[in-house]
Amino acid sequence: MSGAPTVLEMRGIVKQFPGVLANDDVSFDLARGEVHALLGENGAGKSTLMNILYGLYKPDAGAILVNGKEETFSSAKDAIERGLGMVHQHFMLIPVMTVAENIVLATEPTEAGVFLDYAEARRQVSELARQFGFGIDPDARIEDITVGQQQRVEILKALYRRADILILDEPTAVLTPQEATELFTILKNLQREGMSIIFITHKLNEVLEIADRITVLRRGRVIDTVPREGATEDSLARMMVGRDVLLRVDKPPASPGDVALEVADMHVHDDRGIEKIRGISLQVRTGEIVGIAGVDGNGQTELVEAITGLRKRTSGAIVVDGKQVSSHASPRAILESGVGHIPEDRHRYGLVLDFTLAENAALHDYRYAPDSRFGWLRPGVLARRTARLIKEFDVRGGNPQTKARSLSGGNQQKLVAAREVDRDPKVLIAAQPTRGLDVGAIEYLHRRLVEERDQGRAILLVSLELDEVLSLSDRILVIYEGEIVAEHTSGVTEEEIGIEMLGGRREEAVA
Amino acid sequence: MSEPGPPPVGSTAPPPPETGEPTTTAGRYQVMQKLGGVVPAVLTGILAFFMGGVVIAISGHNPIDAYRGILDGAGINWFWAHLGNTDVLDLSTFNFTQTLLRTTTFVFAGLAVAFAFRCGLFNIGGNGQYTMGVVVSVWVGAYWGNALPNGLHVVIGIVLGALAGALWAGIAGILKATVGAHEVITTIMLNWIAYYFASYCFGQGGPLQNTQPGREAAPISDDVLDTSHAIIPVFWGDEGFQALHYGFFLAIAALVVFWIVLNRTTLGYEVRAVGFNPDAAAYGGINVKKNYFLAMAISGMFAGLAAAIDIFGWKYRAGTLDIQATTVGYVGIAVALLGRSTAVGVGLAAFVFGALDYGTTRGLDPEVFDPTLAGNLSYMIQGMVVLFVGADILILYLWSLRRKRFASPRMAGRGV
Amino acid sequence: MTSIAEPVRASIVTPFRIGVAGVILGALSFWIALPPLHTRNLVAPALLAAAAAVAGGYAAWQGEVRAGWGAIVIGGLGVGLAYLATRSSVDNLEIAFTWSSLIAAMFVFATPLIYGSLGGIFSERSGIVNIGIEGMMLMGAFWGIWGADKTGSWITGVLIGMAAGGLIALVHAFFSIHLRADQIISGTAIYFLSLGITGYAFVQLYGDKNIPAGVSEIPRLQLRFLDHIPPDAVGDFLYGAFGRLSLMIWIGFLCVVIAHVAIFKTPLGLRLRACGEHPRAADTVGISVYGTRYFAVVLSGVLAAAGGAFLSVGVVSSFTEGQTGGRGFIALAAVIAGNWRPFGSLFFACLFGFCYSLALQLGNTYRDSVAGLDVLAGMLPYVITLIIVAGVIGKSYPPAAVGRPYTKQ
Repeated sequence: MSGAPTVLEMRGIVKQFPGVLANDDVSFDLARGEVHALLGENGAGKSTLMNILYGLYKPDAGAILVNGKEETFSSAKDAIERGLGMVHQHFMLIPVMTVAENIVLATEPTEAGVFLDYAEARRQVSELARQFGFGIDPDARIEDITVGQQQRVEILKALYRRADILILDEPTAVLTPQEATELFTILKNLQREGMSIIFITHKLNEVLEIADRITVLRRGRVIDTVPREGATEDSLARMMVGRDVLLRVDKPPASPGDVALEVADMHVHDDRGIEKIRGISLQVRTGEIVGIAGVDGNGQTELVEAITGLRKRTSGAIVVDGKQVSSHASPRAILESGVGHIPEDRHRYGLVLDFTLAENAALHDYRYAPDSRFGWLRPGVLARRTARLIKEFDVRGGNPQTKARSLSGGNQQKLVAAREVDRDPKVLIAAQPTRGLDVGAIEYLHRRLVEERDQGRAILLVSLELDEVLSLSDRILVIYEGEIVAEHTSGVTEEEIGIEMLGGRREEAVA
Repeated sequence: MSEPGPPPVGSTAPPPPETGEPTTTAGRYQVMQKLGGVVPAVLTGILAFFMGGVVIAISGHNPIDAYRGILDGAGINWFWAHLGNTDVLDLSTFNFTQTLLRTTTFVFAGLAVAFAFRCGLFNIGGNGQYTMGVVVSVWVGAYWGNALPNGLHVVIGIVLGALAGALWAGIAGILKATVGAHEVITTIMLNWIAYYFASYCFGQGGPLQNTQPGREAAPISDDVLDTSHAIIPVFWGDEGFQALHYGFFLAIAALVVFWIVLNRTTLGYEVRAVGFNPDAAAYGGINVKKNYFLAMAISGMFAGLAAAIDIFGWKYRAGTLDIQATTVGYVGIAVALLGRSTAVGVGLAAFVFGALDYGTTRGLDPEVFDPTLAGNLSYMIQGMVVLFVGADILILYLWSLRRKRFASPRMAGRGV
Repeated sequence: MTSIAEPVRASIVTPFRIGVAGVILGALSFWIALPPLHTRNLVAPALLAAAAAVAGGYAAWQGEVRAGWGAIVIGGLGVGLAYLATRSSVDNLEIAFTWSSLIAAMFVFATPLIYGSLGGIFSERSGIVNIGIEGMMLMGAFWGIWGADKTGSWITGVLIGMAAGGLIALVHAFFSIHLRADQIISGTAIYFLSLGITGYAFVQLYGDKNIPAGVSEIPRLQLRFLDHIPPDAVGDFLYGAFGRLSLMIWIGFLCVVIAHVAIFKTPLGLRLRACGEHPRAADTVGISVYGTRYFAVVLSGVLAAAGGAFLSVGVVSSFTEGQTGGRGFIALAAVIAGNWRPFGSLFFACLFGFCYSLALQLGNTYRDSVAGLDVLAGMLPYVITLIIVAGVIGKSYPPAAVGRPYTKQ
């Protein structure tokens, strides 16, 4: 790589948001034909930096040089014209439109200057896909193809616009280990064709696999830029976090008791009538954590929704603490039968952001004594209970009268967890409990979940972070296309689970 | 940068507002409250009136004279010139009582919209609900004979009138709850249906057309005053001459009840939760659909109350022309918005619009400024109030600019 | 990777189609009691209604609740209305149900709705809810006839009206896009403002008097050749229905076609829809979301105002305060019911227009038998709208990002 010309340089970038300095004098450069990884935790400033590069934000200070020439990007269009192509973490694809329409958008081939020449668009897209070895159907609608294929459409979008610098923002967040490997192969191909690639991630193993150079960001600052030779997971982790991080949670072995939650042959359909859960049975005992591993979209959401009553199951039985739960049971009834739920989307289901902490803490129980009597609320009772929860769960950022909106994500999640645990449920369902949180909050919640398990709760953990599932669970169930395809209690590797998550190896059940 | 939790990773769902910005009407109000709610409201009002003055000037009249004429017409000069005078023969005092009379109506109209807003619903149907309230109130008041003792008769009339409004709005509520029909369209359709139904009732040959000899051709109902005399007692002015009646205190009581219900009862908790975040509310076990229905019905009840109290308080009868000229529902929207859907706000805003309403019509000395012009002017001012309130973001933005200048640039990320 | 479930095998006879057939049967049961068939006994209508109910019941039982119950309800209504028709004299029926004049009137009533709904489609497809169509229509109505009065030409009048609509739409656009105001509130404000501005200007400029008579009128397109089509009855019907329509009505149809092509067959339309579905995606490929939305909202104001101008200049040649009478909101309902597609909303605009014209005819014909019927009949378009909105809304797929303000960083 030495000797290769610098195609891109970012110098001294500063970007301030209200209350947060996202980029603090960040500098790094990209050489032609190199894969340069930007490594950092959530909130380290990587996405902000790339959004600046792509013209979506304006930096408060600093310069961007493309091929040695200083440029200012005031919009994505500018960046595209200079040869930058970005594959976002949240795809910028329009679900109801076709692949071809999405790719040619804003640079459409026309007929007679007025009409959209769709046939030509289709031809061009097929041609491009063939050239780079992608298999894609130009007429398929985005909402009908898989996430992995959608990502390829995003890449094709950049290639269609003649990008020679490709920026990928957390691309493997949505892929199985196998799909990630395929992606790396594609990237290596592109690298051979002369493409320079910036790869943003927080996953250490990927970085070591694909990057030529690694720049580590922490809290908006560049810690260091190192070549791949000589870097190890530990050395990188230490740079990312600033201290030795417990990559696995230390937990005592579980001593499971009776079955607290049982699901038998459950079938669930989604809003479009597609069967998302096809006959799942599982059991969770008190004092154990059962983790569900799987790629997003294989039914985890519907599984949790069905168990918590947010969605009616089509058939099958659910038994909580020995009592049958009717399929018409409302979320309220299920909550009352002893189920607690830390929802995966806390802003949507967990909290009413415009309510105070006290009002949020009462979300499930406001209609009962002591919170209220004969329809009258008792604010004093609410406030006292909330103050206790705030202290117990170390929720920072306010008092019971503060609006939940003012808290940081981690503290909001702690409040939700506090509320759920305080209701003393037999079964606790934690869906993506640490998504979007900083390391400190993650560590706290992981520890807390293990503590609750030792108190005798039955915990069902559903998470897209394989690490989290592997480290916390006493038993792991792998979900694929609405079915449980594997169950493990110990000694399984990430690779094995990855294959199962993709649907392979179903015949060989591993103990 | 604190992340509000992205949607399922890799999905193509458009990501939620980056900073967890409130997406519901009720949520946006909450953010406004944070800025010391009164100031933006006052600013909005001043700006709207100022723009009105510009319009007056452009059309060749003197804004100062026009506004003074309106203020006098509303009896505001009672405060400095005639304070303490209770004799309604004095013009200023009379004007003031009329303003208060209209304030009473607008309090209820404003609550009709405000309560729905708190639940995230936009009740544009105040007019239709009011109209149905009028129909039922006139029916009970003037067509039920004289058998019942007056006190009871009035109470029944008010209750039934309120119920009519509640039911009318309830239709929209049910449609929203069951098939998800947007309440803006359904309530507007219901407005027009009520309009034609009431015009039919009071029109030629209609069931509620008056039976007075010599007046059969007039499309007006019988008069409560003349038939059952079941009316709300007056306390300031002479009965039969549009005096201020005890309904005024009912309006104040309604404001108090509004506040108590919203902030101290479980019903209010549910309504507010649904207004801010229907998903979390549903999750917490709240029956969102039931609350949509209840919120609409209660809102309609307030509109129906406005009608009943007007009929039994001072109007005593209705005709097709009255029905067609009704704008109460729409004023209620401006009142609720200016008052930020709070009890105190609605009360004050109702007074402002009450003054504007009377001051630009009956109270306005035509020599000073043409009342028809002034009536349309007040429409424009209402429109601007609604517009500027809808643009609360502008004020938020300006406010946050002032904050930014003093913020420290090197704050560490908040536990991000 | 294949999708999880097998798609339902497409077949010719689906429960939904059976439900729709039931609706048609129900409508038929009423229609045969009317001219030109005027069946005078109830046997045939009853049979048709029964068939409708069976079809509807089957559809509902198979899960198509909306279509199924719709068929049952329409069947019941159909036979009930057929009964009423048999109670009326044939002469009256002939007068009330002169189909050719009903259809001509339908087009007249539908045209403001057509223009308004096209405006609504453009605005909403770009992502901005436009409740203020009524206000924009009203602006077009007043300023259109003012312009025609002052300049002596209907063309400049209509153009002035359209400009007025565009201007007030600009206000809505600015508040909704740049200030990210709540779009429903902003639209309602436009409605109030338009009421006020047009009313104020009307009184200021015309005082006690109305618009003077003799204002330039929109010409009609005479299609004499239709009358000569054999047989006589068909020719009469075609000429009566289509032969003497106002020019702006035909322009309206043309606009529907142009709108459809523009939205679905051109790059501009693709970008417009992208802004309404996923504005951030559009932004990242370099489309100006703000610019597109401004354009769309102003265009919606211009179109809605054209509809209003047609009302004042083309239909009644005068102005009254609040002349549009809720048509703007009905246009919005047509947008939703028509699934944000020009031809879809054309259908519903004609449906509502038909209700207006039928209400007018019924009211006139039976005014003597039922007191106040002409007033009661006025309810018809709104009741139908309500039913349609309630019945159709569940299946509607609005542009994904409509109503949510877009923040450009």
